[in-house]
Amino acid sequence: MGMVRDNQNSVLLADGAAISPRLPAHAGQVEPQLAREDLKRAEDRRRVMVNRTGARRRPWMLLWLLIGPGILVMLGENDGPSMISYAQTGAIYGIGFFLPFIAMTFVMAFIVQEMTVRLGAATKLGHAELIYTRFGRFWGFFAMADLVFGNLLTLVTEFIAVRAGLGFFGVPPALAVLGAFLVVVAVVATRRYWTWERITMGFAVFNLIFIPVAFMAHPVSSQVLHAFFAWRPLPGGFTAQFVLLIMADIGATVTPWMLFFQQSAVVDKGLTTADIRQGRIDTALGAVLAAVAAIATVLAVTPLFTHHVDASSFQGAEFAQALVPYVGKVGGTLFAIGIFEAGLVAAITISSSSAYAFGEVMRKPHSLNNSLREGWPFYAVLVAAAGIAATLVLIPNAPLVFIVLVVNVIATLAMPPAIVFLLLLVNDRQIMGEHANTRLANFFGIGVTVLLVLAGLVFGVTTVFPKLFPS
Amino acid sequence: MTQVMYATEIRQPRLSPPKHGETWVHEVLEPDQISTAKRRFGRARLTRGTIVLLWGLRIYVLLMTYLIGVQIWNALHT
Repeated sequence: MGMVRDNQNSVLLADGAAISPRLPAHAGQVEPQLAREDLKRAEDRRRVMVNRTGARRRPWMLLWLLIGPGILVMLGENDGPSMISYAQTGAIYGIGFFLPFIAMTFVMAFIVQEMTVRLGAATKLGHAELIYTRFGRFWGFFAMADLVFGNLLTLVTEFIAVRAGLGFFGVPPALAVLGAFLVVVAVVATRRYWTWERITMGFAVFNLIFIPVAFMAHPVSSQVLHAFFAWRPLPGGFTAQFVLLIMADIGATVTPWMLFFQQSAVVDKGLTTADIRQGRIDTALGAVLAAVAAIATVLAVTPLFTHHVDASSFQGAEFAQALVPYVGKVGGTLFAIGIFEAGLVAAITISSSSAYAFGEVMRKPHSLNNSLREGWPFYAVLVAAAGIAATLVLIPNAPLVFIVLVVNVIATLAMPPAIVFLLLLVNDRQIMGEHANTRLANFFGIGVTVLLVLAGLVFGVTTVFPKLFPS
Repeated sequence: MTQVMYATEIRQPRLSPPKHGETWVHEVLEPDQISTAKRRFGRARLTRGTIVLLWGLRIYVLLMTYLIGVQIWNALHT
């Protein structure tokens, strides 16, 4: 993979020195013991080093090597419930206010997630680990309780999306869910972060499948442009349903598991402070791709809005079926594949997020580079999280509608405390040093936090007092 | 001052002993990237304002969870 090697299999470094795997240890130097994760991470870092400072610098290859966590977290958050939320938005409101609003939510997501890149690169510690060590077990317990509970419920909704997506093709629910679970297990069974990341990114690319469906729906380009500039029209005005969709779309973009996942992935990948620039590009690229996919989903279902189809109770498969008369069988098929992919990728990333957090808090080895023997508690939690969620989906008469309803509420409610922990950590100069938030970063970070807190409050108030706004 | 200690004594996974052939790993990775040599930071000193903020948010989450739970329970049983 483009490493600069001589005939001794050595690697050229910045200062021109060649590091050979056969070099003896420096005399008298006590070196920490190495686990498999260190060796594998070092292999990845060696390739980064060669492309950054070797004789043949290749910036594009360097970027290719360093991207991953940002794209995965953003496309992972375009999960089953999120895509259904965007589809409902498009079916109820058409082309208008929600197009620029969704784009704005991804700007918010970038602002939040960029902080996790710096935290991970500067401290080399995961988010859960930092919360526990800096704020203590008491506050750490609450943060973990929010994460674990939210992740389990969200994972259930991902398998519901898998079931719905494959249901379009007539795949029995048990087979669909079991297949997705086996994919989650197979991807981590590679016991290699790099392989896991690239396979999951390969799946995540299918999130863009909503783009051709959007074109098949033939949206009027002048209406789309007008919507982005004017943030209009907004049919029906400020109603309870509008507030709920606003909250659902925010909840579809910024959620607690994303903070834990990206920071842990940055650490597991081995990013350092020298890689923060590429980490930012990775996160921005992920945000742009995810925003395009989300907006494409809204555009793809606008025929349902135009033809006054009531889609308020639709799940993934119903959307695909309802779209067939307007976007054709191919369009409906692509939409169903997109819903399946959204659930599958999120199942992989969210189960990993739970396992990382468990390993960090329990001080167990927590890396996708671990061997099964070294990292069995980590892998066990990952597989158990996915397995429990998959099983719940298959229980006859399980309250799945209830779970889908609750999961967005939990995510929205849990976000304000999570983002406050993030802001406290990223402003902590003792751990961040020169990479702590600047005033500008705090301006945007605190702005997003205030917006999320207000959104959570409004969401809670409208849920508790549903008659407060006109229906 | 930041309290920093190293994790060698905290986490002891089954490891292979260092070999001469693994020196390149220490050259490529930053010291705190080695799994057994992670930095451990001490507790942060939380100001009174921060503690009030964290408690406020926690009470907000618990209260809203309770209220919404009651609301959903009622919706499911009517």
